[in-house]
Amino acid sequence: MNVLRPILALASVGLAGALALGSAASLAQTAGSGPPKLGSSLIGKLEGPEVIVDAKAFPKNFKEAPALAEQVKAGKLPSVDKRLPEPSQLLVIKPLREVGKYGGNWRRAFTGPADHENGNRINSADKILTFDYTGTKIIPSLARDWKVSDDGRTTTIYLRKGAKWSDGKPMTADDFIFWYEDIYLNKNIVPTPFFEFQINGKDGKMRKIDDYTVAFEFPEPYSFFVYQLAGSTAIGAGLATRGAFQNFGGAYAPAHYLKQFLPKYSSEDAANKKAKDLGFDNWVSLLRNRYSWALNPDLPVMTPWRTVSPINTPTWSMERNPYFWGVDTAGNQLPYIDRITMTLAENVEVANLRAIAGEYDIQERHMGLAKLPVFLENAKKGNYTVRLDPGLNGADVALHMGNSYEGDPEIMKLLRNKDFRHALSLGIDRDQLNEAFWLGVGAAGSVAPAPDTIYSPGPEWNKKWATYDVKQANELLDKVGLTKKDSDGYRLRTDGKGRVRLEMITVGGSFVPFTPVGEMIKQQWRKIGVDVDIKELERNLAFTRDNNNENQIITWANDGSEVLFLFPRHALPVDAAESHMGMSFAKWYASRGTAGKKPDDPEMIKAFDLFRAAYGMNDEDRTKAAKEIWKIIVEQTWSIGTVGESPAFMGVRIVKNNMGNIPDRQVNAQHVRTPHSSWPETFYFK
Amino acid sequence: MLNYIVRRLILAVLTVWAISVLSFIIIHLPPGDYVTSYIASMSASGSAVSEGEAKALREQLGLDKPITVQYAKWMGLMLQGQFGMAMEWGRPVSDVIGDRLMLTMVISLAAIVFTWALALPIGIYSAVYRYSFLDYLFTFVGFIGLAIPGFLLALIVMYVGFAYFDANVGGLFSPELAEAPWSAAKVWDLVKHLPIPAIVLGVAGTAQLIRIMRSNLLDELRKPYVMTARARGLPEHWVVLRYPVRVALNPFVSTIGYLLPYVVSGSIIVSLVLSLPTVGPLLLKALIAQDMFLAGTIILLLGVLTVIGTFISDLLLMWIDPRIRLGRQ
Repeated sequence: MNVLRPILALASVGLAGALALGSAASLAQTAGSGPPKLGSSLIGKLEGPEVIVDAKAFPKNFKEAPALAEQVKAGKLPSVDKRLPEPSQLLVIKPLREVGKYGGNWRRAFTGPADHENGNRINSADKILTFDYTGTKIIPSLARDWKVSDDGRTTTIYLRKGAKWSDGKPMTADDFIFWYEDIYLNKNIVPTPFFEFQINGKDGKMRKIDDYTVAFEFPEPYSFFVYQLAGSTAIGAGLATRGAFQNFGGAYAPAHYLKQFLPKYSSEDAANKKAKDLGFDNWVSLLRNRYSWALNPDLPVMTPWRTVSPINTPTWSMERNPYFWGVDTAGNQLPYIDRITMTLAENVEVANLRAIAGEYDIQERHMGLAKLPVFLENAKKGNYTVRLDPGLNGADVALHMGNSYEGDPEIMKLLRNKDFRHALSLGIDRDQLNEAFWLGVGAAGSVAPAPDTIYSPGPEWNKKWATYDVKQANELLDKVGLTKKDSDGYRLRTDGKGRVRLEMITVGGSFVPFTPVGEMIKQQWRKIGVDVDIKELERNLAFTRDNNNENQIITWANDGSEVLFLFPRHALPVDAAESHMGMSFAKWYASRGTAGKKPDDPEMIKAFDLFRAAYGMNDEDRTKAAKEIWKIIVEQTWSIGTVGESPAFMGVRIVKNNMGNIPDRQVNAQHVRTPHSSWPETFYFK
Repeated sequence: MLNYIVRRLILAVLTVWAISVLSFIIIHLPPGDYVTSYIASMSASGSAVSEGEAKALREQLGLDKPITVQYAKWMGLMLQGQFGMAMEWGRPVSDVIGDRLMLTMVISLAAIVFTWALALPIGIYSAVYRYSFLDYLFTFVGFIGLAIPGFLLALIVMYVGFAYFDANVGGLFSPELAEAPWSAAKVWDLVKHLPIPAIVLGVAGTAQLIRIMRSNLLDELRKPYVMTARARGLPEHWVVLRYPVRVALNPFVSTIGYLLPYVVSGSIIVSLVLSLPTVGPLLLKALIAQDMFLAGTIILLLGVLTVIGTFISDLLLMWIDPRIRLGRQ
């Protein structure tokens, strides 16, 4: 396999190269005076549909797709007003531009059964709560409303009366209680409680108030819980998403369908026999399969589309859910688009080439920023438009320092020295990286999130310790004690064992070309006399080395860090599932001091304490704490930011020109589950 | 004779068992396991798996148990005629492979037919008319075919197809028909898509076979029995086809052993580039994801097929070559 990797890499380079042949000339015409303008002119105004919450403005009469109307006529389906929730309980969406037309088949690419997020992110309306199109405000989704008690210990959600599963059965608080009692509390199914459902290590509880009201109760104030319900978390991301992850999250599940797989409702033997007959090891592994909307077309869902042909076949296809509980402002039941057909691309290069050939209607996932010139060149022929959606995170390539690296003692000492880290950061010419790899559309700076996000400590922190200043970098390195140099100008170690030679791990086959970025940084660090070996590793190996504290520096994006408390692992070493910034410290934090190693940096302890306390704070205090934490992170430079806030991460959007209600720019972030925040239910074929 | 076959069969079973152990070890050699790889791939696509979820997954898949226990489980399943669950696919391994097996075989057989149909006549021609203009031409083209890696050819063919012929990029079916049930139209669609992968997969093999055929036949043509046949006035084509070609075919037959696994796996890289839904890319993805049951079963399957293929080619050799047959008695 290791032999194959370079060949594959070569193959993809070959493809890009072949495509780039002959594109240079036309690029010069479209681009005018250079690449930077090329990209930035494709970034439009942030916009999106609105969810109407004032019931007085709700439509009173309802219409449906022609195909469904026929089924109603034939007596196979109840009429549309019987399928929708009570009129006051509807989800009402004001489409971005106009009321759309029914019909059409949305063609897309997917890369195999592990690519379920491709469909999950379109089908995320079944989240309990969600974020609006700006990604900053919580709005209702599956639940029509919510309330957080004054003491922050109880979060209550109100369900839509009359909402139904895709098989027509009513969806009520009992489906939540079923999930809580029969799935979540069953140790065979969920052995470890979800971090999101705990505060300070203490479990939360779920309680049914009435058929349409559910309360989440915690022993300590946990006012952040409402964000967990709105974010892309194990508890809040909805049945479809968490089911596809096959981890039994989502806070509710169709009791009437899933009971047949649980021993509680038959017997252990009967449940296991059923599983064995279908080729599964035991009832849990059958349940895991039946729980995923992507794998199991029979699973009742609350999403706008439901699977027809599952994700483990060459075509993952979906059709509209006749019981979807959302309408547009004119009373048309959503979604507009009849079907979604995703065809398997065995590798992303094929997906890109097919997009260039105009074979996809809307595709943002798997589209490479480096191929932008080719996308533009073929836009007319393929009858599509390219739009760029910049991310909100500070760095698409962050050099995560091995803060708990264990190995070479001299390197260990250097990595734990703030001045050394600052020097490395000041020795990077980010503008050069931006021009070379981001076509100039990224923002050069630190790891801090985009200045217009709520937790941003202020624009000055995006530049702090993140400018190009060779002189200051050299002064800092001298101060660290690395004053002696060899004949090539590289600094020598203090223990007499030759040069200071760092090792930077890059991972191949990612959205961002980590290895070439690393190579360029290696050249730039020559000027400050620091030598670094760039080592490209397979993803899995790189992560395993992370877990063993063997990486000195590893390049990875800090995506998701803009919503610090929802997804902190790329900003702080606090999550033992994945930490590039010091696994020992992450284990120490996550285990509340019983495992791993205590950080020796008092600033890290300070950040940890603030971070832990913030979950119980009110919104205002929490935002303050977040800004404080970001200041510490940037000041301490536990990771070095390079270029971020760019569309490199699923932000190159190819849209056919006959698609309607398409935002010029959509927020591109994990917590809003892009493109869900643009409500794909309202997209249509003109 | 029977004794020989039985002995070979027993050896074959032992070899297969050894392959199963080896393939299991190979899959466990890289660091980490399915769950680490799952976390990494989710993180790369901007999603997260929490620590609790990872732990749960590991327990349920039995990855926290020692490798011997995992192997015993796999063996136990296999003795019951099952192969376990493909972790990433959430389906039994046999289903996942089964889905792709037929198409893989169709493509590989098409490639083999293409290879043989072209290589044998050209090889014979080149040997008989040695140093003729056409011999030089075929040699030239053949060496080029041999020198171009399949994936590169695939890339070029694909780009040309896209840029000048508006062809669908990669795949075996038009998007409209991919999902449709089997019908005459779908079969026709498959036949239309087949030449490109068949040619790309077959080109390198063709060049190689031409060279082998040519040199084998040249050796034979010099032999006295050919001269005798000519002297007795047999027609030239009869002289060549009846005896020397038959002898020159021996090396072909002995490579059948390697043909069988090839038929099933296809070429991994070319399939990947052309986005063919064959077993090759499946194996690659299973290895990357460390989906041990799926990868293990495919490797085992390939091993078993090699063993069976070698066995068959031994028998075939005995059948077509009296020297081997008689030498054993």
